[in-house]
Amino acid sequence: MFKEYATLGPYLRRYRWQYLAGMLCLVVVDAAQIALPQFLRRAVDELASGNFTLSGILRIVAAMVGVAAVLSVGRFLWRYFIHGSSRRIETEMRDRLFGHLLELSGGFYQANKTGDLMARATNDLGAIRQATGMGFVTFFDGVFMSLAILAVMFAQNPGIALVTIVPLPLITLLIIAFGGMVGKRFKRVQEIYSRLSEIAQETLAGIRVVKAFVREERFARDFARANDEYRGASMGLAKIFGLFFPLISFLSGLTTLILLSAGGNAVLGNRMSAGDLVAMIAYLEMLVWPMIGAGFTVNMLQRGAASLARINEVMNTKPDIASIPGARAESPEGFVEFRDLSFTYPGSASPALESVSASLARGKTLGILGRVGSGKSTLLRFLPRLIEPPPGRVFVGGRDVRDYELAALRRSFGFVPQESFLFSDTIAANVRFGVPELSEERFCRVVAVAAIDRDVAGFPSGWNTIVGEKGLTLSGGQKQRVAIARALALDPEILVFDDALSAVDAETEDRILSALLEERRGRTNIIVSHRVSTLRHADLIIVLDGGRIVQQGPHEALIADESGFYAEIARLQELERAVERGE
Amino acid sequence: MADFFESDEVTKGYDSRIVARIMGYLKPYALLAGLAVLALVIGTAGELYAPVLVKRTVDDALMVSWFAVDPRVAEGPHGQALALTPDDPVVGGRVYLKASRLGRLSRTERAALEREGLLDPVPCYLADIGPGDKVAREAAERAAARGKLVLDGRTGVIPLAELKSLPAADARALRARDARIVSANVLLLFVALAAVLAAAFVQTVVSNLIGQRVMKDLRMELFRHTSTRSLAFLSRQPVGRLVTRMTSDVETINQFFTDVVSAFLKDATLMAGSIVVLFALDWRLALATLASLPPVAVMTAVSRRKARDAFRRQRTWLSKVNSYLAERIAGMSVVQLFAREGASLREFEEKDRQLMRANLGEMYVFATFRPLVDLFSSVSTAVIIYVGASMLKAHILSLGTLIAFINLIRMFYAPVQDISEKYTLLQSAMAGGERVFKLLDSDEAIPDSPRCAMPKPIRGAIEFSKVHFSYKDGEPVLRDLSLKVDPGETLAIVGPTGAGKTTIANLLTRLWDVDSGEITLDGVPLRDLPLKDLRRAVQPVLQEVFLFSGTIEDNICLGDEVSRERMREAAEAVHADEFIERLPEGYATRLSEGASNISAGQRQLISFARVLAHDPRVIILDEATSSVDTETELMIQRGLEALLANRTSIVIAHRLSTIKHADRIVVLSGGRVAEAGRHEELLGARGLYWNLYRLQYGGGETERAAP
Repeated sequence: MFKEYATLGPYLRRYRWQYLAGMLCLVVVDAAQIALPQFLRRAVDELASGNFTLSGILRIVAAMVGVAAVLSVGRFLWRYFIHGSSRRIETEMRDRLFGHLLELSGGFYQANKTGDLMARATNDLGAIRQATGMGFVTFFDGVFMSLAILAVMFAQNPGIALVTIVPLPLITLLIIAFGGMVGKRFKRVQEIYSRLSEIAQETLAGIRVVKAFVREERFARDFARANDEYRGASMGLAKIFGLFFPLISFLSGLTTLILLSAGGNAVLGNRMSAGDLVAMIAYLEMLVWPMIGAGFTVNMLQRGAASLARINEVMNTKPDIASIPGARAESPEGFVEFRDLSFTYPGSASPALESVSASLARGKTLGILGRVGSGKSTLLRFLPRLIEPPPGRVFVGGRDVRDYELAALRRSFGFVPQESFLFSDTIAANVRFGVPELSEERFCRVVAVAAIDRDVAGFPSGWNTIVGEKGLTLSGGQKQRVAIARALALDPEILVFDDALSAVDAETEDRILSALLEERRGRTNIIVSHRVSTLRHADLIIVLDGGRIVQQGPHEALIADESGFYAEIARLQELERAVERGE
Repeated sequence: MADFFESDEVTKGYDSRIVARIMGYLKPYALLAGLAVLALVIGTAGELYAPVLVKRTVDDALMVSWFAVDPRVAEGPHGQALALTPDDPVVGGRVYLKASRLGRLSRTERAALEREGLLDPVPCYLADIGPGDKVAREAAERAAARGKLVLDGRTGVIPLAELKSLPAADARALRARDARIVSANVLLLFVALAAVLAAAFVQTVVSNLIGQRVMKDLRMELFRHTSTRSLAFLSRQPVGRLVTRMTSDVETINQFFTDVVSAFLKDATLMAGSIVVLFALDWRLALATLASLPPVAVMTAVSRRKARDAFRRQRTWLSKVNSYLAERIAGMSVVQLFAREGASLREFEEKDRQLMRANLGEMYVFATFRPLVDLFSSVSTAVIIYVGASMLKAHILSLGTLIAFINLIRMFYAPVQDISEKYTLLQSAMAGGERVFKLLDSDEAIPDSPRCAMPKPIRGAIEFSKVHFSYKDGEPVLRDLSLKVDPGETLAIVGPTGAGKTTIANLLTRLWDVDSGEITLDGVPLRDLPLKDLRRAVQPVLQEVFLFSGTIEDNICLGDEVSRERMREAAEAVHADEFIERLPEGYATRLSEGASNISAGQRQLISFARVLAHDPRVIILDEATSSVDTETELMIQRGLEALLANRTSIVIAHRLSTIKHADRIVVLSGGRVAEAGRHEELLGARGLYWNLYRLQYGGGETERAAP
């Protein structure tokens, strides 16, 4: 547990003065807190003596108010120092976490889902903040206060103090035990809660199917069942809490009861003054909180350690794709070559690519054809090093891609991925994503080439339309076209289209393609498609099957090879057309 | 992930209409609510009773003192005030009164009595020595022998100072009565504590139970309400937002029941209770205590407003930071491909710093408010001690009462802290409730008022006559559309994008209603048929296949209305059985989220099997526009043939092969029928169809028909 906390060292060191000041304030607060009942005791004793003066009482209560004022200021200040530091540490850690996430490669994101990473950035950082803020305070304060109060109580009357505090450690043990029980039940409640929202989410997402098959009631039944389970799990938690806090007050009440019984008899036996008893009752109440705090501290520190472990796991993951020392800072030109490239995904039995060799001169267009899963996307991902190739296999601009600085290499590429991911920002900002300073003229040019301008003209807010959950939901084709404009805005040396026109209708596709190739004249393009008609525009076509290049050459040459896969696909697609025509 | 993007207003001030409406959901659970309130009252009473017990123990047993007065005082001017009774103990010709009785006299009156020798100013203790109590009698005799104690029958009088100097055993023996009071009060205290424990448990469990039940009622109401709204309404609402209504917004209402209501009730009871007790103990001191209330109220009001603003700012920035983070993680490959790591980090740091400022702001509000309330509580205590001291000096107050006051003040101030903390929860509940009720109040359902039963058997004749329809005012989609489909016929609809093809499917299943004109099934207008029966008879195969996470069987049957044999027959007919049986668990194979563990073609086949298993008389097939590879295409083609056989079908066609199989083709343009006829006829006519055909299929595009 404490090994994990070692990683907090640098942060805590940076805020050591704040923590020190906070601790000082805590000591002052504690001292003031102990002093307050002393004033009460003195006042009560004075009053009980029968021969007191009002000015004497006034002096006592004035001192009491003074101490209370110090107490309040101290309470503000320790929160200021310690909570302030823990919030700042949380912010710094979140910044560093995000900075690190930005460096991690695709493999990491395949193994870690967004939801899980978000949980680390929110819940786990929260737990660490708790540990560095409240956890620290209750720990320090609890130890200090308990010792101080115990010292005073034992000084006043050791025998009675001893019997009185017997139930107090029970409170601490109780909270530690409850922490475990609550944790488990809470997890169950959370699980059922997510199922509940999944059912709602799915029903609403598939509402057309639900309505078309008149199945509203069936899904309502499912939802009702999940609701009942949720109630069951929540009640399990509620019973724990229902017992937990009342039991703590019961135990602390028990200490008062013991004190009243033992102390009362001591007063009757002339072994203690009534004022002492009243003060001791007040101390006891003060001791309850540190005991409760001790239990929570244990839980908080445990949770903080577990969370730190989860954060450290991410922070200790080395980016497996990074610039190699001495890498070239200039961006490569658009000459692309694969030399005998083979690749197997970790954990996969069959290779994704096998001995792939091909080269494309600068300014030419490469077409790639293949079935789903034939390795087309994998091949493309090697170029900007989204997957790390072995040395001496993948070349851009005549050099191994590994010889370039990562950022320099990627600057040469404009990528239109298969799944067009847009950020929930304005359409204009999405187009300008790679080049925020894009000129108005270029902007108009790229959106025209991507044929998104006419769609946007129809939106009420035009280019300032926000996309995504908070704004307008674009159609698949519109998203793809925004993604195309985004890549074109870079005016990249090499433009990569990973089946990026699949959701666009044929008319638009033709328009985009011809405008695009016109625009890209003299630059390198790589286009993945399973349509022969699309690939005809390419200077060189490679056909992938099961990770191997089964054919390569210009369209005419491939068509001519009648026994080849390309010609077969072309014939199949031709046949359909012929059947229609022949009728 | 919807949570990370939620940006709606999260707080709202107190709104009595919303509270009243939330409370309305309590009605079915009035009995439980009564039980919770009862437990709350018992628990609160117990909590208030405990300090009173402590006070009584101190007053009646530990600090008891008596003063002696001359019986002649009864005839004097103060006799009335002291109200001597025959029951008052008389020892050595002097009447003994408890110290609190003397409180009825003013200071000057007491001084006068002392001067006249009618009042002895030395406080004494009156020991009650039972006839059987040998230990006490011996102790009394020992003390009497040394001249410290005056023994008269079963009463021993000893000055307090002398009592304190006695050996412990003797003092205890003389105070046997006090010891009994201590024991009895300790026992009572135990009972009170146990009652508080039990009551608090019952109260927590019952209020949670009520909260859970109300939540279920609300969620089911929301669920049923939402799922029966028209698609016109639902298509305007992002799914994530609706889910949030049913989940976290309802949760805030639950918190209202479990935390806010019970806490407010309890706090109000505690405050009211402690005020009552304070007044019962001593009204003058109680008034002094209440004097400290106005500044506290002002401070609470100010801090509440500050806390609300701070809380709102915090939530806004938290949601901004989280949604930014979630989105960048989801789109990390785009960030890296465009080499925007540095810029993203800078943007994130800026948002994160704003969040930190908001967090610190919230912390400052609470860090100021709590200690201030504590300070007020101390000042209040100081005032009470001072005022109490002067009253004590005047003997118009007992010390025990003063101690009880000091304890009660703390109890009086605790709710002030609590209420302000619960106020943020109240605000969330108000905001959540407002959104939930807004959704419940949205009344956009397709009217279902059948005038006649479904014809049996359904022949499947469909006619559109002069149908007008628009999704948005001023943007008509269908204009004066008339078309007819004979029973058993397959009609293909083609036309350019925006011609209104998909709309025909939406109108036929009454997901939307026509603006004017009429659609009939077997001659009966659709709106006169029971909605459920209509939807069972006319089923669409949607462009985008939607599969639920669950087994394949579940996805074909959608519940238990379809028998296993029917399901298998349907799967076989569309050739889906071939791949399903190859899966490790066959029909019991679970589909993952988005059904990503099977291919697009396979997903399509499952959706075909689903429709076939439900055996509708009319099928509307909306073909997917997105392209698939050639093998998948063949797979879907085979399934389609089985699906369309022997029923009336309307196909919104994109594939040439589908169009070829149709009995008739209708070309839609601008929301009306431009041409209709068989494939060859239409080609021969050299009209719109011929043009479309030449444009789309002549230039190398092979897989698609008209878009």
